[in-house]
Amino acid sequence: MFPSRSDRSHRLRRAPLAALLAAALAVPLLWAAPTVNILETGSSLLYPLFNIWLPAYHRVHPNVRITTQSTGSGTGISQSTTGLAQIGASDAYMSPALERKYPGMLNIPLAISMQMVNYNLPGLNRRHLHLSGPVLAGIYSGHIVQWNDAAIRRLNPGVQLPDHAIIPVHRTDGSGDTFIFTQYLSFSTPSWANSVAYGTTVSWPAVSGGLGAEGNPGMVTAVHDNPYSIAYIGTSYENAIRRNGLGIAALKNRAGKFVLPTARTAKAAASKMVPKTPKNERISLIFAPGADSYPIINYEYAIVNRRQPSAQTAAALRDFFNWAISPTGGNAPRFINRVHFVPLPPPVVRLSRAQIAQIQ
Amino acid sequence: MAAASASSFVSPRQRHRLRRRLTDGLGWTVSTVAFLLLGAATVSIFWAIAARGAHALDLAIFTQVTQGTAGGLLNAIEGTLLLAAGGLLLAIPPGVAAGIFLAEFGASRFAPVLRFMSDVLVGLPSIVVGYFVYIVAVVDLGWGFSALAGAIALAIISLPYITRTSEMAFRQVPADMRDAARALGATDSHVILRICLPIAASNVLTGVLLALAISVGETAPLLYTAGWSNYMWNGHLTHEPVGYLTYAIWAFITEPFQSAHALAYAAALLVSAFVLVISIASRMLMAASRRPGR
Amino acid sequence: MFKLVTFRRFTAVLGGVVAAVLVAVVVFFVIYAWPAIRLNGWHFFTSNTWNTGNLYANPIERNGRMILPGAHYGILFLIAGTLLSTLIAVVLAVPIGAMAAVFLAECVPAQLRTAVSFFVELLAAIPSVVFGLWGYVVVIPFLGHHVYPWMTAHLGFLPFFSGAPGSGYGLLTAGLVLALMIVPLITATVRDALVSQYRGLRDAALALGATRFETLWTVQLPATRRVLVGSGILATGRALGETMAVLMISGNALNYLPRNIYSPISTMASFIVSQLDSALQDPTGLAVRSLGEVALALLLIAVVVNGAARLLLYYQDRTTGTTT
Repeated sequence: MFPSRSDRSHRLRRAPLAALLAAALAVPLLWAAPTVNILETGSSLLYPLFNIWLPAYHRVHPNVRITTQSTGSGTGISQSTTGLAQIGASDAYMSPALERKYPGMLNIPLAISMQMVNYNLPGLNRRHLHLSGPVLAGIYSGHIVQWNDAAIRRLNPGVQLPDHAIIPVHRTDGSGDTFIFTQYLSFSTPSWANSVAYGTTVSWPAVSGGLGAEGNPGMVTAVHDNPYSIAYIGTSYENAIRRNGLGIAALKNRAGKFVLPTARTAKAAASKMVPKTPKNERISLIFAPGADSYPIINYEYAIVNRRQPSAQTAAALRDFFNWAISPTGGNAPRFINRVHFVPLPPPVVRLSRAQIAQIQ
Repeated sequence: MAAASASSFVSPRQRHRLRRRLTDGLGWTVSTVAFLLLGAATVSIFWAIAARGAHALDLAIFTQVTQGTAGGLLNAIEGTLLLAAGGLLLAIPPGVAAGIFLAEFGASRFAPVLRFMSDVLVGLPSIVVGYFVYIVAVVDLGWGFSALAGAIALAIISLPYITRTSEMAFRQVPADMRDAARALGATDSHVILRICLPIAASNVLTGVLLALAISVGETAPLLYTAGWSNYMWNGHLTHEPVGYLTYAIWAFITEPFQSAHALAYAAALLVSAFVLVISIASRMLMAASRRPGR
Repeated sequence: MFKLVTFRRFTAVLGGVVAAVLVAVVVFFVIYAWPAIRLNGWHFFTSNTWNTGNLYANPIERNGRMILPGAHYGILFLIAGTLLSTLIAVVLAVPIGAMAAVFLAECVPAQLRTAVSFFVELLAAIPSVVFGLWGYVVVIPFLGHHVYPWMTAHLGFLPFFSGAPGSGYGLLTAGLVLALMIVPLITATVRDALVSQYRGLRDAALALGATRFETLWTVQLPATRRVLVGSGILATGRALGETMAVLMISGNALNYLPRNIYSPISTMASFIVSQLDSALQDPTGLAVRSLGEVALALLLIAVVVNGAARLLLYYQDRTTGTTT
């Protein structure tokens, strides 16, 4: 076929190629029904829930095309404020400074989630180690470097802790999990609050051997692949944690009790914090009082702009969110239980509906 | 080498010869081993991808769109082809023009500068290009994640490859062809477009194929320009993200779900197979164009 | 019909886009990163903390610019990770690549050479993300579970070989995979140089009684020195900018320097990918500008390295057409 010596055949060869290209470009244009494209990006903790929501929602609303991405809450916040994504999924509410910079943004809770502290200690993964905020702060700031450190032994009498260096794993992407984990450390440990503080990205103290991982999935893999590591992982990955045979810690709550992340302890914590939720719903649920309260629970937010480029998009978003938070829709047990979340309590549903109505 | 035990009976001269022979053998062994090592790595990569990917390939990959971390890859296959085609469409005119300029008007003072800059552009890390397009087009111009932004990023990355191969292609056109045409009164544009281009075309095409292979395999710049979409392309150049295969490899291999891993391996197999086919095609093209040439 | 000058100008202008793109990218990053350059100063390259500051606190003013409290940008650990992984890659790739080229040029009959070379050169066609996938599912478990523990046990007496072998994610793994990614460049260039070499020198050496390998080692290979160095520098440039594969296998260390060759690292290019989207969260914009400064630094390194290699290769031979 090549090379051709005659310029005539050369030109003729071009023509069908161009026609083909034009046809290929035109076909999708013909398909284009009045669809609404919505990009959801952010929290890897919410990602599994979105992925089981969407097929169900899409069946009823085939013209609404929602793409999901697991990029971390930091990305969810930044890409929704810059308008690149219509829904920013985040385990963290927006910071006050960003709130001022982008006053049009809403923080709408879609569900309540919790976070586990997981570890990979050969032989001990079946036991729920007792850990506290100050001990975790010690591990992540490099003051507690061995698993058999006196501070850890004191919380776990009778457990044969290995004489091995701890590998703390943290998130490298901007992450709501980092936000709620560092909030737990900040609220329980003054020295952490005064040095590292909390945020979706923080300056992790340099711990030799410490690893960074991308997203909750990366955290699961990192803990699985690295014996003697420890990590904070959203509860929507609990099935993966159990399948991989990794340990789940009982955390010390404000009342001084060690509690496991279960639906019961999450609801106990929520019952203490939910009445305090303000109208704009930006509130931390971390370190709730009460003997049964699990200390790391949080609202799972959709960060959305009040003003949408088209009425069509706004309507699609309102409809989707109203479905998502409804106890018979997205908050139904068949979705929520699969990711070990807690449905929004009725007062919060009312607050969220009021915010959803503002999307225009 | 078996003669080592007899070394005490041989003269210094023989020993010297033996040592030389040993060094010789050792040298060739080392070079053979070096080659085998690299060959083994190539085989290992393709085997790892093929074995895992073959398991994951089924009809759904080609007929369904991605649903979260399950479903198929039809949207990604379409997006990869769309982005690569768009990138080439944007890169071929300036790339080939630069190649023509360098080959035909190399005496110009601008030529060495252009050649140098094109060659430096090859070394530009692709993520830097992605960052540039992300800030300028996606964020500041407000295009959002889109096919056009992705295609522009790929075009910038492909440009220098097309430039370089085009220059080589036009240089290889025998000078007598040009002289003959000029003697008959043909103008420069006529000589280049009507006489040289058809002869150089197949070699230019190898550069285009190279750029195509690079575009299909590119990931980092697309993450920030094309975004990702679970759906088929709707025909919008801007404001509509598109999916692509390399995203599926990167994003899904770390998910703790079997279905996600299957998508990643299938995507890796498709990308590798595509790149392999393009590489073989461009080799054959090069071999074919060499034969009737000089 | 075009006139000669017009057509020439037409190709110059259209082809000039290639040069304009490079200029545009460099100028863009200088302007974009300028606020960060002024604020970060030289500490940017010498300190070891990348800290966006307290995102949930109120911005404070420093030097007339609003920043987040605690914000400090230093990328020494990125520079170290980038240079060390590249160093390992080049140190491994140059000798192995050159010796493989020797095999291809001298031991393989000319008719088979293209086909056999394909095995090595195919490595150049494999996308970075596929290398990353392979590294992630094949190389890391193998090295982390079998090779590195053995190395610490038996080679621990060497500096940087002792200490915790880690999990397989880290400096040496990144260096090894990078070496494979750049080796075809070196093999292809050196092989072409050997094949197209002037045969007289070789024949003379053989006639003087040198063995084939002696001829190669003392006459043929030294003659390719400049090509070897040039392609080595080009390969360095490629390794410095590699992104996806490194991102997937380097362990993404933050704010510390590697202690040994098994230590997790981050490189400049992979850091940009992992931080770019969340950097836009900083309401003061300093995080994303500082990331722009990382890109600018990487860009300038790439321009200098590639520029140097090209000048060297131009000098050697203006006609050898090695596509890279």
